[in-house]
Amino acid sequence: MNTTTAPQLTLTRLFNAPRALVFRAFTDPEQFASWWGPFGNLLPRDEVEFDVRPGGYLRWTELFPGQPDTWTKGRVDLTEVVDGELLDGVMQITGHLPHGFKPFETRMRLEFHDETDGRTRLEVSQWLPNHLVAPTTNGWGEAFSKLDATLPS
Amino acid sequence: MLNVAPACTAHEFDLVFSALADGTRRDIVERLSTGEATVTELAAPFTISLPAISRHLKVLETAGLITRSQHGRWRSARLSPASLAGAAAWLERYERLWTESFDRLDEHLARLTSENSAVQDRDQRQQR
Repeated sequence: MNTTTAPQLTLTRLFNAPRALVFRAFTDPEQFASWWGPFGNLLPRDEVEFDVRPGGYLRWTELFPGQPDTWTKGRVDLTEVVDGELLDGVMQITGHLPHGFKPFETRMRLEFHDETDGRTRLEVSQWLPNHLVAPTTNGWGEAFSKLDATLPS
Repeated sequence: MLNVAPACTAHEFDLVFSALADGTRRDIVERLSTGEATVTELAAPFTISLPAISRHLKVLETAGLITRSQHGRWRSARLSPASLAGAAAWLERYERLWTESFDRLDEHLARLTSENSAVQDRDQRQQR
């Protein structure tokens, strides 16, 4: 997987909670199971298995209780972990995914920063599942934004 | 905000991103965003050869980003924005995976912090 390029997707999100609390929400299996769910609204607690350290992993399953044909297994192989600050690894999503998604693999990086007033700034970087992006910088983003101005709305 | 075109396949997505990964091709796409152009016009800003430009145009055409045509002796190209919008729609879908969960994380953290302060209030009252 080519990850020497800039990430294709970046998000910043502010949370009204201290950094340690936000970090723990990601790394405590009990808490993670209660809010995570891009692909399902139920994470069976006994299928959330975490080993949070470099070389460790996060594993979980996402389900929709009324839809047994739709299920998602998530796994992150952690390469870098700094307690309270950083999670970096490769995420694999497999299963019969909802919303037209197909199984994919992507590198992702979560950086947790202190913000004023006891808040936390989370920066998410994701390298989207394609292996063909050449080592240039954000050119594709520029291409989009320039074209955005010319496309019919 | 881009029109959300029908989601393209993973293969189409790969072709679009690899086509746009090259600076010369991005410049060509940008030039075509202002209208159709002949191959000669497209080649003008660059020092590379016409055959090299044609190879770039072929990559863009295979990715569905442009269509090429011939009028007499003149070969030209125009942009087909649907593919670009499709790739942008992909990015939006991936972004939404995170943001929807983060909305729920907001609620989870709000519950935690209000529980924490309720406990602190109770402890302070007990200490008096």
